[in-house]
Amino acid sequence: MLKPILLVEDNPNDLELTLIALSKSQLANQVIIVRDGAEALDYLHRRGEYAARPAGNPAVVLLDLKLPKVDGLEVLREIRSTDGLKPLPVVMLTSSREEQDLVRSYELGVNAYVVKPVDFAEFVRAIADLGIFWAVLNEPPPGSQRYVKPGK
Amino acid sequence: MTQAAAPVLDLSTCDKEPIRTPGSIQPHGFLLTLAADLTVLQASANLGDWSGVAAGDAIGRPLADVIGAAAAQRIAPELAAGLGPRPLYVGTIATGTGRHVDVLAHHWDGVTIAEFEAVDRAEPADFRNLYPLIGDFLLKVNDTGSIESLARLACQHVRSVTGFGRVLVYRFDTDGHGHVMAEARDERCHSYMGQRFPAADIPAEARELYMLSRIRLIRDATYTPSALVPPLNPATGKANDLSFAALRSVSPVHLQYMRNMNTLASMSVSLVVKGKLWGLISCHNEGPAAVAFDKRTACEQLGQILALCIESREDAAELQFRLEVRRTMVSMLAGLTQGSDFIENLANVFPDLLRFARAAGVAIVVDDRILTYGDTPDQDDIRSLVDWLAQHDRGDVFHTDKLSALYAPAEHMIRNASGLLAMPISRIHKHYLLWFRPEYVHTIEWAGNPHAKEATPGAPAQLSPRTSFAAWRETIHGTSQPWHGGEIELALEFRTALLGIALERAEQMAELAEELGRANKELEAFSYSVSHDLRAPLRHIVGFADLLLESAGSEDGQQRQRFLKNIKDAARLAGKLVDDLLSFSQMGRASLHPTTVDMNDLVAACLDKLVLETRGRNIEWDIGPLPTVWADPTFLHLALVNLLSNAVKFTGQRDPAVIRVSAEDHPAETVFHVADNGAGFNMEYVHKLFGVFQRLHRMEDFQGTGIGLANVRRIVERHNGRVWARSVQGESATFSFALPKQTNL
Repeated sequence: MLKPILLVEDNPNDLELTLIALSKSQLANQVIIVRDGAEALDYLHRRGEYAARPAGNPAVVLLDLKLPKVDGLEVLREIRSTDGLKPLPVVMLTSSREEQDLVRSYELGVNAYVVKPVDFAEFVRAIADLGIFWAVLNEPPPGSQRYVKPGK
Repeated sequence: MTQAAAPVLDLSTCDKEPIRTPGSIQPHGFLLTLAADLTVLQASANLGDWSGVAAGDAIGRPLADVIGAAAAQRIAPELAAGLGPRPLYVGTIATGTGRHVDVLAHHWDGVTIAEFEAVDRAEPADFRNLYPLIGDFLLKVNDTGSIESLARLACQHVRSVTGFGRVLVYRFDTDGHGHVMAEARDERCHSYMGQRFPAADIPAEARELYMLSRIRLIRDATYTPSALVPPLNPATGKANDLSFAALRSVSPVHLQYMRNMNTLASMSVSLVVKGKLWGLISCHNEGPAAVAFDKRTACEQLGQILALCIESREDAAELQFRLEVRRTMVSMLAGLTQGSDFIENLANVFPDLLRFARAAGVAIVVDDRILTYGDTPDQDDIRSLVDWLAQHDRGDVFHTDKLSALYAPAEHMIRNASGLLAMPISRIHKHYLLWFRPEYVHTIEWAGNPHAKEATPGAPAQLSPRTSFAAWRETIHGTSQPWHGGEIELALEFRTALLGIALERAEQMAELAEELGRANKELEAFSYSVSHDLRAPLRHIVGFADLLLESAGSEDGQQRQRFLKNIKDAARLAGKLVDDLLSFSQMGRASLHPTTVDMNDLVAACLDKLVLETRGRNIEWDIGPLPTVWADPTFLHLALVNLLSNAVKFTGQRDPAVIRVSAEDHPAETVFHVADNGAGFNMEYVHKLFGVFQRLHRMEDFQGTGIGLANVRRIVERHNGRVWARSVQGESATFSFALPKQTNL
């Protein structure tokens, strides 16, 4: 089975736009949506309301930088310092090109850093590229299973 | 000359002369020492001249045998009464040889000392004559301003009482030199007015004795002393202490000094001001002069009154002086708190600085920066001087009226820097405030050369005090007017005040730095937020608009509606963000206009403003009695609206919602709480609560830009208060803020 994509996004508009973009990219991966950093960590750690979810990491985490409670950078730090989560591909999605965020993200070991383009077509393209690269094409680290839909 | 009778002395032992225990008396009377039963213990060798009983024969016999039964009987009761160390007049009697004597007695050194002093009257001394004299002096004292004129008045009175040819008042300067400041004289005597007598003229022991015994008469400097028989006091086994005896023989050195001065009779009255020998009333007469005890008493009292007057005048003058200096200091200090640059502030009060220390030049030295005003040495000289000072001062105010004597390079700065008052104004750095006084060239008229008290060349090796009293002029170079004690003390006080100001300034700087740091951080957060949060709604607008365009003609009308609504919401949010950001930045810049605010009124006004948000809601308001505070009402209103609107917002799911506003009174601050039974928040994230654009809830759960609480914090902190919050998630939240009571907003 194809591993899901974990989308961490608090803003409902961004959420809707990202989901539309993902659907346009024709990815078959399931998209799990969590709404803030704390919830993302609960999902990844399989605790709280996600305690009962099946084991296994998502194919990729699309992480918004600015999130309520625990922000994107904090989530990233936790992922990189947790043994089972360390290899997980994380793509930071952000509204701006703030230098400090970029630097901090790469310091913390982000796999990609994407500034959400204002133009929607571009945004769709960016999301599609990301999805294909990280969820499909990229050789996942050991522990993740790649599943290619038969016939595709 | 009686020189032969005097012990041979030299100057170096002058201070050690036994002036209190000379072993002899002046022979214008006789002296007996008596046991308690009035048995004669000792007698002066000249007793026989007066009583017909030789001194040697008198020893061991009752007083009556020596001075006659009648006389002894008259004075016995007085002698038996408690005598003190000061001679007391006990009567006037006739001696065996028919001469009249005043009898003075005092008890000292274990014996009763009875002195019989020749007078030219038979009747007892009448002290009533003194009262008009003293009264007259007192009367005039009140109309007399300066110490000089008071002293002149005293001279005139003393002269009229005693008939001496010259009466002068001289005061001792700090070095002990005497300066003649007032004089009354017979025109045949030459004047000593304005002259100075070197300190060496009056040895230390003599000065001490002047303190103890306030009057001393030498009736005839050519006298031959009359020794006591036996020479030792049987009560002590030592030479008698005649400190208080009126007839005490004086040092042969002094007698020669007098003869050199062409003065055969002299009398001194001590002027003791504040327990110190301030000066003397000194009386000279060319020929021998008798001044009876009653007259001496009058002079002594005049001296005491004069001393009291001097004391009060000096106190008043000192007070006036200090008041003036302090006034200058206060006006300077007021000027020093004006601007922000401490050094410039100092420079702005340069004229006051000069006046403060009665200086001609002033310099402020701060590291390599030197600001000068008035007449000062040039910058390089000041720089070297400061280097020298930094090595030599002990962190205190340094002052000298002869800089060149301590610091050789000052030799060429004598013109404008003979006097220096230096004040370090930092404990760490080489920062100084320097006052300069110019050279004060002046001439001193010495009554004799103070630097050469030696005998005339070729004179015998034995002691020869000053032989010349011809005025000797000395021009003093390289010194300034001396610094006044009050100036030094107030300079110290000024320094403390300066350090206080500097310290306060440092604190202000630290506060400012902190404030700046915070403002900077806020600014960063601000620009960060603008780039994130403001961009998001724009992107949403474009995104949904693109989607709308793309789906044009498609049948999903519901989806189009939602896209349109999203666009509208995003646009509205963008507008609100801009508004909130603007108000937030204004909050940091606008100045506060604090006043007394009744919090009850303020809360009521806030509730009015929330009427739109509370419409249709079931809210139980519990507003406690609230105090008044000192705050800016507009700002505080904004903060309260934010808190109350939050409470309304987060109790959206409650029926009823309960919102409570209460206050607590503490000694230093007033604490307010806004508590609700709403959704609350996770205490884990409480530290983010008051940050700009921090949200702890999803957008669709609770609308907001994330600026409200940042505003609250900013407002309260600008009032020097603090904010905090507590919550049980899902049950309640309490937002609190404290406003200080004593605040200098």
